[in-house]
Amino acid sequence: MKKLQGSSPQGQNELKKKITRRGLLKLSAWGVAALSMAKVAEGVSVAEKSLTAKRKRLAMVIDLQRCMGCGACIITCKNENNVQDGFTWADKISKTVGKFPNVRYEYLPTLCNHCEKAPCVEVCPTGAMHKGDGDITMHNPKVCIGCKTCIAACPYGVISFNKKKPYKFWKSDEPLIKGATSSPREVVQKVKATAIPYYNPDREATLAGAGTRYKGIVEKCTLCDHRVKNGKLPYCVQRCPAKARIFGDLNAPNSAVNRILGKYRSFRLKEHLGTKPKVYYVRSLNPGTYQGTRGSV
Amino acid sequence: MKISQNKLTRRNFLKTVAVTGAVFGSGFNPALRAFAASDKLPAVERGQWKPTTCQGCTSWCSKQAYVLDGRVIKVRGNPNSLVNGEASCPRAHLSLQQLYDPDRIKTPMKRTNPRKGKKEDPGFIPISWDEALNTIADKIMELRKKNETHKYMLMRGRYTYMRDIIYDRMTKIIGSPNNISHSAICAEAEKFGSYYTEGYWSYRQYDVVNTKYIILWGADPLAANRQVSYYLSIWGDVLDRAQVAVVDPRLSASATKADEWLPIMPGEDGALASAFAHIILTEGLWYKDFVGDFHPDSPIKKFETGRTIPEEFSTEIDGELVKEVSFQEKYTYGLIKWWNLELKDKTAQWAAKKTKLSAEQIRRVAIGYGKAAPQAICWVGGGPAMQVRGSYAAMAAHALNGLVGAVDNVGGTLVANKEYTQSFPGADNFLDNIAKKGKKHKKIDHRGRKEFPALKKGKPGSAVVTNNAAEGILNEDPNEISVAIAYMNNFAFSCPQTERWERALAKIPFLVHITTHAAEFTWFADIVLPSTHHMFEKWGYVKSHANGYLHVTLLQPVIDPVWDVRIDETEIPWLIAEKLAQRGFDNLIRHYKEYKDPETGKSPTNEKEFALYSLKYATHKLWDPAEYKGGDKFSGWEDFRAKGVWNSGPYPYRKRWGKMKTKTKKFEFYSETLKNALAKHAEKHNTNIDDIMTTCNYQARGEVAFIPHYEQPYTRGSAAEYPLLLVDYKSRLNREGRSANCLLYQELKDLDPGDEKRDDVAKINPVDARKLGIKTADKIKLISPTGELTCTAKLWEGTRPGTVAKCYGQGHWAYGKVAAGEFGKVSRGGNNNDIIPADYDRLSGSSAFYGLTRVKIVRLL
Repeated sequence: MKKLQGSSPQGQNELKKKITRRGLLKLSAWGVAALSMAKVAEGVSVAEKSLTAKRKRLAMVIDLQRCMGCGACIITCKNENNVQDGFTWADKISKTVGKFPNVRYEYLPTLCNHCEKAPCVEVCPTGAMHKGDGDITMHNPKVCIGCKTCIAACPYGVISFNKKKPYKFWKSDEPLIKGATSSPREVVQKVKATAIPYYNPDREATLAGAGTRYKGIVEKCTLCDHRVKNGKLPYCVQRCPAKARIFGDLNAPNSAVNRILGKYRSFRLKEHLGTKPKVYYVRSLNPGTYQGTRGSV
Repeated sequence: MKISQNKLTRRNFLKTVAVTGAVFGSGFNPALRAFAASDKLPAVERGQWKPTTCQGCTSWCSKQAYVLDGRVIKVRGNPNSLVNGEASCPRAHLSLQQLYDPDRIKTPMKRTNPRKGKKEDPGFIPISWDEALNTIADKIMELRKKNETHKYMLMRGRYTYMRDIIYDRMTKIIGSPNNISHSAICAEAEKFGSYYTEGYWSYRQYDVVNTKYIILWGADPLAANRQVSYYLSIWGDVLDRAQVAVVDPRLSASATKADEWLPIMPGEDGALASAFAHIILTEGLWYKDFVGDFHPDSPIKKFETGRTIPEEFSTEIDGELVKEVSFQEKYTYGLIKWWNLELKDKTAQWAAKKTKLSAEQIRRVAIGYGKAAPQAICWVGGGPAMQVRGSYAAMAAHALNGLVGAVDNVGGTLVANKEYTQSFPGADNFLDNIAKKGKKHKKIDHRGRKEFPALKKGKPGSAVVTNNAAEGILNEDPNEISVAIAYMNNFAFSCPQTERWERALAKIPFLVHITTHAAEFTWFADIVLPSTHHMFEKWGYVKSHANGYLHVTLLQPVIDPVWDVRIDETEIPWLIAEKLAQRGFDNLIRHYKEYKDPETGKSPTNEKEFALYSLKYATHKLWDPAEYKGGDKFSGWEDFRAKGVWNSGPYPYRKRWGKMKTKTKKFEFYSETLKNALAKHAEKHNTNIDDIMTTCNYQARGEVAFIPHYEQPYTRGSAAEYPLLLVDYKSRLNREGRSANCLLYQELKDLDPGDEKRDDVAKINPVDARKLGIKTADKIKLISPTGELTCTAKLWEGTRPGTVAKCYGQGHWAYGKVAAGEFGKVSRGGNNNDIIPADYDRLSGSSAFYGLTRVKIVRLL
């Protein structure tokens, strides 16, 4: 708890008083979320103690040669974090460039860069966006007032806003064939799930409202802090079939990320902005060779 | 009261509880209690990873499903499998949205609208299992009473190796010849290539970790079929060691990562293959340890363009004139014949004209490939094979593996490892006179007729001609079909020229569909039986091979079924058998009772026991230590079940050299095996092979019919009216044709290079688009000589000029709310099979999909 206070942006307490009431009102309306929130409060404190004994700077290296552009990271991230249709915490930038037949396809897996100088954290008026353990850029949905300043500030477009009530699809009462198929809501109830039938409760360990997101807040990748604090890799890293995502501590000299960053020239997105992203890219998606040539006049 | 996130303490939390107390009631969240007690972060992944199998494509990966509180939450590759390990492709994860799809059918249904047609709402209403099964049994008994059991038909779609229970045994015992599988719309012509060269009728595995060169022929292993998970896991390393060349008219997922993209004109694969062979031979790059070499005394010692090589030459030995072969082959047969009949004039320049590739690139790839021998793979996918004359292109491309000695070799193309599953008990003793008589009728798909040789494994009329069954039904040729049961298929969507199936299915008086969803096929059904989801609710097993191993992996019910569904291949036939027995025909149930539990010797007494015992029976030799034959060893059934997969022993390289299952035991460049099969077929129809070639729309005459060779593509539509050739391909998110109702499929459709989210785009090269006045995002119609579809246009440089590339998968007008534009009425995008004509590679019975049709584009205003 102390650590969390220490790492929160300064001057937030004033604002926080304001949102207290708002948060409380939400607590009444969203009892389940309140429960989760309590878990955050205590859970983080315990984890902070164990993790801050040695300060970590958690980072990801994405090896583009190994990346097959398959999108398993995007899908499994949504799976782990109960990310709804239309939202992506892990995402991609893709395009086809060149003219036939001299064409290549570019594909860049993206996610929150967990910038060391995170603009979203700097501008957040409530401290909802804050730096957590391992220098993970965390978001606390209970404090978020949905002002979207973070979205405006983030140069990477990795923060999503819940403009509408979440999981709309699953709240429908309309079956396709009356009596013979179910309504989406009926499936959720039948399997006794929260929000979505394949709802993953693990996410609640550190993120209040991960399943009961509500209209008017933002959300984004937390590097699967709930897994990391349990000694497990972020889910996109674990599930990438190609081992294209490598996770680790930049402060540990012999970590896999440092070994790879030492070996290959890397780049990060929009480095010139000075945000110091902690997602690095190495090698090339198209490592193909060509026959040596001097060209021609 | 001040509560900020920073200051939220246990005390404050309790206050909060007071405010929201009603919500909590008396019970405290157990997770929180545990958390409070241990004062630790709640552990993640408290559930269990349970083994099962994914059949989203025919990779058939062994999987584990993460189950917590009776729900499946995640999936991953089964680490116990040596074929796929923990790696899992993207499509596997979509299975969760299939399992919990609200549009799944949760109870049997019956049709209330007696009229059948695409425009007729079936008016489905829910009924009980009892009513559904009684109706089905009554209909079957009617046929039996009238001695008309040949009018019964069973159609099979996605299957496991439990298939024979419903597909073979049930059909036979009822008394019909008409069990029709989907195989010929898959890739049978691909198997033709390997069978008539090396005697192997199945999909190969590719030793990519040990290879130096890979040519992908219309195969896209990073996106679709086969062993996608495995190849995704290894490809990043493969690229360090091997050159990869991709022959594909569009920039496929695999082409995006390749060294060479050969954007060939559709249908011209055979020309490229023949030119590669020509170059490899003229450059002297064939693999001599496998193919052999010129006789040391032969007057000719090299292959020269345009020059015929006599098969024999005369030489003097001890004063006597003797004949010697010019080329002494080792493990191959017919090289000189192949050269003389086909290859001698097939230069890079010749192929460049046909393929529209540069002669320079053709030479470069051929020489690179030849120099890598024998660690040089030609991976022949459906692309070159599933064409009207595709059998010969498949042979031509596969023959290159023989030329460089890659067959059965390190870094080459391998076959399946040995495994020890066993067949179910035979049906013969349970066939009564009605069944025996009924079974003698000819099959509804016309296989074996003069125009359909369908030469599976050298036997005329042995391969299914899936898509032609529609003609059989429509024309009542050889007879009417009056009762049909189909499972996990969707021929009204997955077979080219879909409207034929719509009419055919509407014509069948009593049609039963066993399915998870109300698919296009279902629309014509009288009774619909809801099936289990194969991956999470079903018992079964499949075999698959890659990485030098074969695995036998179990499909297991890892949860209780979500709805009132039954297993398609075991429980449902058992339940039908019970109903037939109640009506005085107990042969089928007596037969099924022979599938005894190997552990207890007990006969099954209900459908659930039957599903389990039959699986234990089939896999007995894998899990019973007393029956051990090889590969992984288990202490018993429970041990096998818990691991979920059996792995074979490692691959025995080069063991098949000289022992191939061809006529000559060798790798045949001149296929005596095919010659024999064709002769049998011709004889059956009192004619000669040339006449068969003419009838079946092949160009080969004389001995050319027995060798891998180039045939001009057979294309429908004139270039003047239909300016572009259609290039159909598969999505990396397709779970066969069944995932379009998943939200993830639509949301991430742009994971296929060139495609767009939530849309169905026809990709046109900007050069052509300019000529046609088409812009990106235009709503367009694609019109072929046999049909039309509506979709969105997209200008894309990854499409070869002169073609239009469009992915298969969208275009559902049924299946579910997400998949369809408007369920039962309007499609979402367009189904490629609406514009692909029904035509065939008749030697293999395969439906043609590629290089087949031209299309025109009409912009919708």
